[in-house]
Amino acid sequence: MAVKRKIIKERVPTPEMPAEERIKSFAEVNLGYTFELAVKEAERCLQCPYNYAPCIKGCPVHIDIPGFISKLVQYRDDPDKAVKEALNVIWACNSLPATTGRVCPQEDQCEMNCVMGKVGDKINIGKLERFVADYAREKGIDEELLFEIIPKIEKKGQSVAIIGAGPAGLTAAGELAKLGYDVTIYEALHEAGGVLMYGIPEFRLPKSIVESEIDKLRKLGVKILTDHVVGRTVTIEELLEEYDAVFIGSGAGTPRLINAPGINLNGIYTANEFLTRVNLMKAYLFPEYDTPVKVGKRVVVIGAGNTAMDAARSARRFGAEVTIAYRRGPEDVSARVEEVHHAKEEGIKFEFYINPVEFIGDENGKVKAVKFEKMKALDERDSRGKRKIVGTGEYVTLEADTVIIAIGKHPNRLIVNTPGLKVERGRIVVDENLMTSIPGVFAGGDAIRGEATVILAMGDGRMAAKAIHEYLTKKRENRNA
Amino acid sequence: MRNIWYRIHAPHVAKKVQPGQFVIVRAFKNGERIPLTPVMWDRDEGWIVLITFIRGRTTMRMANELKPGDEILNIAGPLGNPAEMEKFGKILAIGAYTGIVEVYPIAKAWQELGNEVTTLHVTFEPMVVLKDELEEAVGRHILETVPIDPNLDFPTNMKNVTKRLTEKVRELLEKEEYDMVFMVGPAGDQRAVFNVVKEFGIPMKSDLHPIMVDGTGMCGACRVTVGGEVKFACIDGPEFDAYQVNWDELIARSGYYTDMEQRAMQEYMKALQGGEQ
Repeated sequence: MAVKRKIIKERVPTPEMPAEERIKSFAEVNLGYTFELAVKEAERCLQCPYNYAPCIKGCPVHIDIPGFISKLVQYRDDPDKAVKEALNVIWACNSLPATTGRVCPQEDQCEMNCVMGKVGDKINIGKLERFVADYAREKGIDEELLFEIIPKIEKKGQSVAIIGAGPAGLTAAGELAKLGYDVTIYEALHEAGGVLMYGIPEFRLPKSIVESEIDKLRKLGVKILTDHVVGRTVTIEELLEEYDAVFIGSGAGTPRLINAPGINLNGIYTANEFLTRVNLMKAYLFPEYDTPVKVGKRVVVIGAGNTAMDAARSARRFGAEVTIAYRRGPEDVSARVEEVHHAKEEGIKFEFYINPVEFIGDENGKVKAVKFEKMKALDERDSRGKRKIVGTGEYVTLEADTVIIAIGKHPNRLIVNTPGLKVERGRIVVDENLMTSIPGVFAGGDAIRGEATVILAMGDGRMAAKAIHEYLTKKRENRNA
Repeated sequence: MRNIWYRIHAPHVAKKVQPGQFVIVRAFKNGERIPLTPVMWDRDEGWIVLITFIRGRTTMRMANELKPGDEILNIAGPLGNPAEMEKFGKILAIGAYTGIVEVYPIAKAWQELGNEVTTLHVTFEPMVVLKDELEEAVGRHILETVPIDPNLDFPTNMKNVTKRLTEKVRELLEKEEYDMVFMVGPAGDQRAVFNVVKEFGIPMKSDLHPIMVDGTGMCGACRVTVGGEVKFACIDGPEFDAYQVNWDELIARSGYYTDMEQRAMQEYMKALQGGEQ
């Protein structure tokens, strides 16, 4: 069915809420494709063969991207069928497409390698994925597909405990449930979703969407025990007595702080605290919701990753003037291009090459300014390929009523303190199968990486599920032998 | 200002909880996560007892809206490190206001271990709680109540409690030799007591309750400076060496949301009044 196609160089844009509108609410910024627009964009895909397609190679969970895109074009006259077929392709590798379609750094992964990029705009893979998931959810197509899959699952009679209902844990749970294992997730917070719930703001990832994706896992038979803090409510040793395998997807639970005077002044939040108050506890709806948050007129966010952008853009929605302060230069900003772009559109200022050295408080112990040392970059590069920076001995002070520290996280200490669990620099050590130093205990996501992205955690979850499946298959065979 | 006892079926907590640990409760969909202390528990039957006083909107809503048989949305825990269970000798365990609720399980366990425990509860008259239980559990229970003077404003009334508290502690330390002082209560009262205790050079442990959100080490709201280092009360504490705590910082941090808490409370009272019309 070789059809000669005209190459369309320009990407079909997705509608977005205008910046001046969106800084007044937490409603989602990107409005997503309609079916017509999605098909138009899908038609641009060159349909590289599966064994070649560089987009698949760039995807940590190896979704058959040309495969799902082609369904949209193939069944263009029947949108429901097109979406169902496309979703079936995606689900083979990814149980949370509405989430990944929104928060993956596509430009560094699938889209980075897109062949269309050589002649024009790369295919808008993320938004197409998101479209499929959203349309399916709105029409109930995902449920339909789910109930076709469930009866085909062959029960294995073995159980797996998963620590943490974030992206890594949810993915592992979904994969293992599909393989027929009894899966129970232990989640410390009152809601499942991990960073998707507490960390990523509503305007980037609506919570109802995360809830709907988790609901599908529950329908697959995954049990989720919220309010269970592993390391306190139950230990890994105890889980091993009850389950055949354990997966640790506890994430990067503990915020990093800056070792500078005044760090504990009032008005200085870690990004985790600030975002948890705003997203999980819905402090932007105070006093309808009981949890308060204080956002002053001038907010300084320290750091330039996705978390910093999320914190900055959230603060902006409280009416604050927001400055992002980063000790390196613009080329080292680790946030997604789209997020930086959105932040700038929303009027957030960026200050580069300044490093905080002191937080200055008023007589009530509340922050009023941050003193920074001006930095400069050297030609020499560090182990991560970033240019080394040194202080110049010159200082600058920014006034701030609120400061948000978004410089990264360490893995949760309650988990890494497990006896016999090998840990290096706070991170759980795993072998090539993601098995830890304790047999039958696997780990993935930020717990082993320190800090990464949702999709890398999901990639680990998927890989761990495969490894756990192999491990448990052997265990089963030995038992039966 | 009555106190309310909740006996809650929470087998996952009851199975594990130790004196000194706490739980985080979220009672309503739009409610806060608040730290509370299991006061009693039954591991076999799977229940814990929490005692609250009406202090803010969440505790008021719990008192008003929860009926026997209702479900509480969430209880996470047990959280925090258990209190050290050792033979310290002669212990003075102090609870200011609601702090006595946390003192109870720890003091009881210390006494059972063979320590000689004196508990001191200083509070307003209507806030007396666990009197009989403590009298039975420890060597000696001292209750000091302060009347609420309606002619004085609330902060002044509270100053009277602090005054009585420090006077009583001084009196006890002058008369008897204690090996250790332990205290739970508002940061300001803790500092006031510590200032007395340090004159006598007696070791003092403080159970700290900075503002908390998740309680699992994830958010960093509860950070305190102890011995020059930043610690998280939820996973490093809640118990710390009183001599190492940066009290000024703790007191400032504890009061950060007072204005918003008052506003939330007022809104709730207004809604209640509206509902009654």
